[in-house]
Amino acid sequence: MGWPEFGAIISGMSGIPVTSAQNRTILICSGKGGVGKTTLTANLGIALAKQGARTAVLDADFGLRNLDLLLGLENRIVYTAQEVLAGSCRLEQALVKHKQEPNLSLLPAGNPRMLEWLTPDDMKKIVGLLAEQFDYVLIDCPAGIEDGFKNAAAACREALVVTTPEVSAVRDADRVIGLLQTREIKPIQLVLNRVRPRMMANQEMLSVSDVTDILALPLLGLVLEDDQVIVSTNRGEPLTLNGTRSPAGQAYTNVARRLRGEEVPLTDPTKEGKSLRAKLGRLMHTKIF
Amino acid sequence: MAADFVPAARSGLPHQLMLPAQGPETAPVPEQVNHGLEGVIGSGALLLQSGDWLLTVTDLRALERQLAAHQLELVGVEGVQPLTLVAAAAIGLTTRLHLNAAAEPTPKPLASSDLVIQRGTLRSGDHLQVEGTALVLGDVNPGARVSAGGDVLVWGRLRGVAHAGCHGDSGARIVALQLRPLQLRIAEVIARGPEDSPPPGFCEQARLVDGLIRIDPAEPSWPPFSS
Ligand SMILES: Nc1ncnc2c1ncn2[C@@H]1O[C@H](COP(=O)(O)OP(=O)(O)OP(=O)(O)O)[C@@H](O)[C@H]1O
Ligand SMILES: [Mg+2]
Repeated sequence: MGWPEFGAIISGMSGIPVTSAQNRTILICSGKGGVGKTTLTANLGIALAKQGARTAVLDADFGLRNLDLLLGLENRIVYTAQEVLAGSCRLEQALVKHKQEPNLSLLPAGNPRMLEWLTPDDMKKIVGLLAEQFDYVLIDCPAGIEDGFKNAAAACREALVVTTPEVSAVRDADRVIGLLQTREIKPIQLVLNRVRPRMMANQEMLSVSDVTDILALPLLGLVLEDDQVIVSTNRGEPLTLNGTRSPAGQAYTNVARRLRGEEVPLTDPTKEGKSLRAKLGRLMHTKIF
Repeated sequence: MAADFVPAARSGLPHQLMLPAQGPETAPVPEQVNHGLEGVIGSGALLLQSGDWLLTVTDLRALERQLAAHQLELVGVEGVQPLTLVAAAAIGLTTRLHLNAAAEPTPKPLASSDLVIQRGTLRSGDHLQVEGTALVLGDVNPGARVSAGGDVLVWGRLRGVAHAGCHGDSGARIVALQLRPLQLRIAEVIARGPEDSPPPGFCEQARLVDGLIRIDPAEPSWPPFSS
């Protein structure tokens, strides 16, 4: 099974290009809506760009586009993927370069009517064009498993599945993973979002192992529930942009590093509190003596 | 035809001795047992699967002596003949009555083409439908379903919905390394899955007993003695 139009690009790679940063096309999807796909795409895009990778983010959620908003690029959009496909502008004209992180470009979604005529081949064409110029192409997938998802999935070799520790989100993620696997997309990796360590410790929420047990995917990152996410969303400045020390911002940066093949250990969120307290305890100890 | 000796699957479980179903030409029990125990060097507790045989206290005593010659101790009797079990109870053996076995039509041995092997986990939304027996090498996740005309066998964790005997075979069963389904169906009977966590390390099976779905540790032999 192949991706003929990418043949030239990927022929130099063998197997799964986990450590190579060359031309990786990654679908960011979830099944269930509102679990954090767009937030992950924006933060990961910035983080990868900061780490030196040429990165493009593509908004494939034509119906409810908002990747441009989260990146603070809404007012700079002139052309969209729609005009590129129609041949009425060149890709370079439609790409919106990020002010502070010029390694990152956004290809905006066209208008919602695009949903009616866009085909998987159109999507492959756009992503193919992006893959010629960028190391990473991240595709913010719409929720659901209908045409929008199918089009986006047709154009990607890898996927990140985002879920939250809730039964319904995990169920939908599982469905999506099944569909991705039949398309031979790999690797498929997992990002668990909106984790609340205290609720997990009290077993009021599915635990990390409950989720990975069912989904059986490598866990690329854990992102804590963090008010800063909402603040940054409203400002149009992803958390990874300014090197904040916020837990979610760090988690997104670590996801980017792991995606690039770096070994960054994952910490158990339910033990985090304890080790922090232990650290504080030690600090106090040293102060007293 | 000889009785069939099935060594215990692990220590702590009894060995089993299965008497064949009675037919016009079946030999008397002592003869069958002699044949069945030929060369057997097991020792320890033994459970007799008496099937539909009618055995008296005298028969059972004679059997005990026969078994003793092989260092085997009769500890229990299971079967569908109430009188056999009464006799067994009278001499202090544990007993269990198989209620349905007599009424159930003996399932036909399945041709290999009736076995469909699914390699890999069934995920939410997947529905595997099979005419014969379904063997899943992987998990059946919540939201996934397996329906089979025959048995559903899961070499993994069953956490979705399984329907065995979906064309009405009430002798069909559902076996899984970990049996914690959302829902089970056998023939026309539907049950919600158990809520407690399963005993670790035991393969479990669900089958119809008296019109209700019942879950037990899976029998150490396959196929089970009724076939
Ligand atoms: N780790 C987090 N902590 C707190 N809030 C979060 C976190 N992740 C996401 N959110 C919030 O959840 C909401 C949904 O996030 P987002 O838009 O990224 O989801 P989505 O999966 O793209 O949704 P849709 O399916 O509608 O496209 C946003 O308001 C976002 O700020
Ligand atoms: Mg979104």
